[in-house]
Amino acid sequence: MRAHLATALSAALAATALAGCSTSDDTIRIGAIAGLTGNFITAEVVRTAQRVFDDANEAGGVNGKKIEFIVKDDAGNPQRTAQVARELDSEGVVAMAASASFTDCDVNDAFYRQSDISSIMAVAASPKCFQSPNIAPVNVGPFTLMTAVLLYASEELDAKAVCNFTVVLPGSEDAIKQALGDWERISGQKLVVNDMTVQQSGDLTPYLLKAKQAGCDAILFNPAEQLVVPWLQAAKTQGMSDVNFLLLAPAYTDSVATAVGGLGLKVHAGSEFEPYTVESPANAAWRDTVNRAQQPATAFSQGGYLAAKFLVDVLRTIEGEVTRESVNAALRGMAPIEHPMLGTPFTFGTGESHAPNQASKMVRLDGTKWVVASDEFITIPAGG
Amino acid sequence: MLVSAAIAGLATGGAYALMGLSTLLTYRLVAVVNFAQAAVGAFGAFAMVVLYEAGLPLPLAVPAGLAVAALLHMGLGVVMVRWFAEAGEGVKAAVTIAVYTGLVALGLRLFGAQHPRRFPSPFDGPALTVGGVVVTWTAVLTMALAVLFAVGPALLLRHTRLGLLLRAMAERPTTAELIGVRVPRLSMVVWGSAGAASALAIMIVAPQLASDFSSQTLLITPALAAALIGGFSSFAWTFVGGVGLGVLQGLASTVTQLQQYRGVLPFLVILVVLVWTRRRDRWDEPA
Repeated sequence: MRAHLATALSAALAATALAGCSTSDDTIRIGAIAGLTGNFITAEVVRTAQRVFDDANEAGGVNGKKIEFIVKDDAGNPQRTAQVARELDSEGVVAMAASASFTDCDVNDAFYRQSDISSIMAVAASPKCFQSPNIAPVNVGPFTLMTAVLLYASEELDAKAVCNFTVVLPGSEDAIKQALGDWERISGQKLVVNDMTVQQSGDLTPYLLKAKQAGCDAILFNPAEQLVVPWLQAAKTQGMSDVNFLLLAPAYTDSVATAVGGLGLKVHAGSEFEPYTVESPANAAWRDTVNRAQQPATAFSQGGYLAAKFLVDVLRTIEGEVTRESVNAALRGMAPIEHPMLGTPFTFGTGESHAPNQASKMVRLDGTKWVVASDEFITIPAGG
Repeated sequence: MLVSAAIAGLATGGAYALMGLSTLLTYRLVAVVNFAQAAVGAFGAFAMVVLYEAGLPLPLAVPAGLAVAALLHMGLGVVMVRWFAEAGEGVKAAVTIAVYTGLVALGLRLFGAQHPRRFPSPFDGPALTVGGVVVTWTAVLTMALAVLFAVGPALLLRHTRLGLLLRAMAERPTTAELIGVRVPRLSMVVWGSAGAASALAIMIVAPQLASDFSSQTLLITPALAAALIGGFSSFAWTFVGGVGLGVLQGLASTVTQLQQYRGVLPFLVILVVLVWTRRRDRWDEPA
């Protein structure tokens, strides 16, 4: 037994030593933080991104060097989020790509600024992700998406009495108010009911009764799947089958479709990217990648694919040594990249904050399937 | 509007009452303030959903889920009887908090947090319409079950020999054992039934609440508030407390100035009840 232990130990030591050796200049290190365990799992994001980097490596790498993608699991725990960012820093990553951690921006923004690390995020959900000179998310995010979904209601669905029921997570109140204000300014309408005090616990019927009372014909509801299902079930109970229910991207999943598809309600959701459930030419390359990565095809994995792809594109423009400095310079000087999965081109640039994605498509429930509701991207007017 | 909000609150109130009554049952019979009560119930309910999703028919999945919760609660009971039989209430409560934390972590692992489970709701049809609110059969059933939970144990304890034995066991376990009551066996039955009861409660109310494991386990807060209104002794007042709390939350969501404090209402109720029941205590005099 003791001999075994010794062998195992020395093997482990040797492995560590080997790993230590490879920190030399023969790879380009890219970092990512995601939830591989814990409350909210985003493993498919980084695994799809890994496939993109593997593809780039198999095609000869970047400037003859291989990309080494280091993924750290933060388990949704802010202390871990902070710790793994520092680990990635000391492991010498030149940039972050395809991160999908909900605490990353809030916890690490200041650290990224301090240590000059730029991040192309795959899944950004906090206002901080859109307010940093060092972070540019590929997704629209829950705030701009609210504006886009409301625009769809007022313009495409011709809604006249739009209402909003929002669960406000700490720190996002201003961003939500701004998103709602943007819609009111662009559409010239006012929200008939705007309730930003929705609780995550308890029965949701009182809110629906309020909406019914006010005669809402379109109702925006922002939470994720767990709350969307009882929300729509309660709406069904109260007989609200002529109202348009508007949801955000976190509700655009197969499990929501199967859980509430049979209720016969009018349900719409913002998809952020080209809707993942659609077999379109725009999705072909991503779908091929996610299949080869053997990961579930989700909207999150689209984010992972795009973030990794854009970083590889930018890395290829760098002449000479790929370092943190040269990557930062390349990101800030990059030409905007058009991609058919996006409504607006992706760019990093020199701004004090980045929100390149300003467009979303819409899907609606048809039976227990999501189908495309808007062929064109709904783009927030610039300056809006 | 106020009336309809209050009626809508009744459904939630029934759920709070059910959970509060299961908690009270555990306390009255085995003298443990069980913070893990809702977690045990949620465990059973999720086990039922997993089996149901795997293709087991509902009439079989429900008893299986109840059995899981009963066994789990009996497991907790074994720990209590074996190692903490003579410990104070504080220690026992602390143990249940530890179990609660463990169950939440385990539940997240086993049942996933990300995607909503599809709780079967066979009683989702509208039963009646009152004041513009459609009341479902689920709500009616919840209320009926809550009444049953409130009346049943009270009658059992007061009027049957089994109730007498149970009361003896709860008040003086050692004495009861010395006069020949088979305390360990009897308490296992109690733990098992209380676990199954809370699983049944969660199964019924789950479709109308956030359908993830941790939200369900949080039902323990309003449940404890309800039990506190009953002074941890009265089944009837616990029922009133649970229903009242639900109605209060329904009302609060219509009053703009109050709606954002809706979530803290259980704590407020706990605070008011504690202050009220302790109003005659004089803390500055030696006991």
